Amino acid sequence: MSDFLRLVRKEARELLRPRYIVPILVVPIVFLAMGQGFSGVEDGANEEPAVGLVMNDSGRYADLLEETYDRRANVTYRGANVSAETAIEETRGSGGKTVIVVPRNFTERIEDGAAPGRVETYTVVDNLGIAGISSAGAGTAPLGEASQVIAANATGAPPGQLSPITATETSIVRGERVDASPSSINSDLFGQLFFVPVVIVVVIVFSGQMVMNSMGIENENKTMETLLTMPVARRTIVAAKLAGSAVIGLFAAGLLAGSMFYYQSSLSFGDGGGGLPAQFSLGPAEYALIGVSVFLAVVAALAMALCLGIFAGDQQGAQVLVLPIAFVAGAPAAVTVFTDIGALSLPLQAIVYANPFTYPSLAPKALLVGDPLVIVGGTVYQLVFAAAMVGLAVRLFGSDRVVTGDAGRLSDIFESLQR
Amino acid sequence: MPDAAVTVRGLSKRYGNVEALTDLSFTVERGEIFGLVGPNGAGKSTTLRILATLLTPDDGEAVVFGADTQTDPNAVREAIRYLPEEAGAYENLTGRGFLSFVAGFYAEDPDPMVERGVELADLDERITDKTGDYSKGMTRRLLLASALMTEPRLAILDEPTSGLDVRNAREIREVIQSYPGEERSVILSSHDMLEVEYLCDRVGLVDRGRVVAAGTPAELVAQTGTQNLEDAFLEVTA
Repeated sequence: MSDFLRLVRKEARELLRPRYIVPILVVPIVFLAMGQGFSGVEDGANEEPAVGLVMNDSGRYADLLEETYDRRANVTYRGANVSAETAIEETRGSGGKTVIVVPRNFTERIEDGAAPGRVETYTVVDNLGIAGISSAGAGTAPLGEASQVIAANATGAPPGQLSPITATETSIVRGERVDASPSSINSDLFGQLFFVPVVIVVVIVFSGQMVMNSMGIENENKTMETLLTMPVARRTIVAAKLAGSAVIGLFAAGLLAGSMFYYQSSLSFGDGGGGLPAQFSLGPAEYALIGVSVFLAVVAALAMALCLGIFAGDQQGAQVLVLPIAFVAGAPAAVTVFTDIGALSLPLQAIVYANPFTYPSLAPKALLVGDPLVIVGGTVYQLVFAAAMVGLAVRLFGSDRVVTGDAGRLSDIFESLQR
Repeated sequence: MPDAAVTVRGLSKRYGNVEALTDLSFTVERGEIFGLVGPNGAGKSTTLRILATLLTPDDGEAVVFGADTQTDPNAVREAIRYLPEEAGAYENLTGRGFLSFVAGFYAEDPDPMVERGVELADLDERITDKTGDYSKGMTRRLLLASALMTEPRLAILDEPTSGLDVRNAREIREVIQSYPGEERSVILSSHDMLEVEYLCDRVGLVDRGRVVAAGTPAELVAQTGTQNLEDAFLEVTA
């Protein structure tokens, strides 16, 4: 086995210890649990509601309402001329949560036409969670359809007259015509314009945290000096730390991305968007460019973290020192998700474009709207930046600083941050 | 006549405003145990770290078996093993796993080296426990074994028995004492004058960043007209 692989294995083994990996697994588990919860809500919402019907009116419109409920719900209790309390108790006993009481004058009021027929609804809410409230409300949903059926029967009007207006929605997005409403477009683009930048930031931060952990472990275990005096080139040690941390960081980020995707999917039940034309989806070349951009961002973040990790006194200090990287990597993602960089003032634009972590976050949006040059140029800039950061890390590992932890003029800042 | 194992000439090193070494010079002959003795902050650890290629001197040179620590650090690293004063092992590895990890850097077939390390560490069945469960003495024995099992031409040991109980300290001294050979030298630092007198063929007395006297313990005692090395040290640094 080569020295490099031996060191990568060592890094991975140390970083996979429960004390480092468990805190990282907590977030994906929370997302999975939340996703599971929302899936449960969706399942509950799609189930046929169990209801009780109290029919105090035997007129034709009351019959139509009852027929609608027979089609759309599971009527577990039927009664007439009983109190609401009795009906509720009986319905609960038979597994239902909603009671619909149709009063004696229901049909008469509709026939008079002066006022709508009135029904009373009683809903039992035992579970104050989202799933409980959502499923409890399902029992009154068939009233809408019953209303339509009664209106058609009472007036003899065809469906087109009962719902006389329907709209076809078209949006013009950056000059491109899309046959969908802005909200539908937002729903369709959500994954690419929000989810991708967030995942990119998570990958960068997790990988940075891993390399920080690696340095923290070396400092806590006091193994760094022994490692540095072995017959292994310093650049091999640097490369192994970057690779080992990247493997675990990408693994952790993959888990989080998967759990976030699951969570997001569980939220988007119902209308999934209007479907976008081909020009609003990314092709293989665009995905490849995003991949290169993300890779370079991860390499740069790892090298930056390695440089900062040299000055981490211990594990806790390393956690603090990863924050600047999280901020530098996360700020452009926030900008690209919530606004358009072109809408910023010129100085702010310069700051955003000078940040090499802007390009992976910006890439999905820029490539979707046909603006690839800024991403190609940005990727070249990222390549130069990543090479410079790796060079700096190798240089620091070859200097006294890796042993003394002396950050020169920045010493006071690093020490106060880790206090 | 072959070169000395170590030749140090005019080493200087500053940390900010603190002058750690000032024109420090000495030699370590092949096959001997050389001790650097001095109070805290005298410059012993800085000297050993320069020899181990961890630090670069501001001035002067340190040559290990013909290789300069600044111009040919990789050749120096091939020749040495360094045991820092506060060294530890990777807590997630067993003692044997740690020896195997280290041996992999020095041998195509690390197994014989690992077995030598297991023998030197003398930890019995605890060699298969995680190093995170070791006492300080056990960790120190493991680390010394990992350093000597590779049979370095120069073993650099910084306070090898610091903080250990009498039994562990004695066992470690015995391992160190048996190590030197024709091509195997040891340089160590210590506060413990009795230890140095017992172990070292020659001693360099270090004070405020320079070697103020060097010779065999008997020579230093005779030169100063004192009773023992401790008195000799106090005499020359007075």
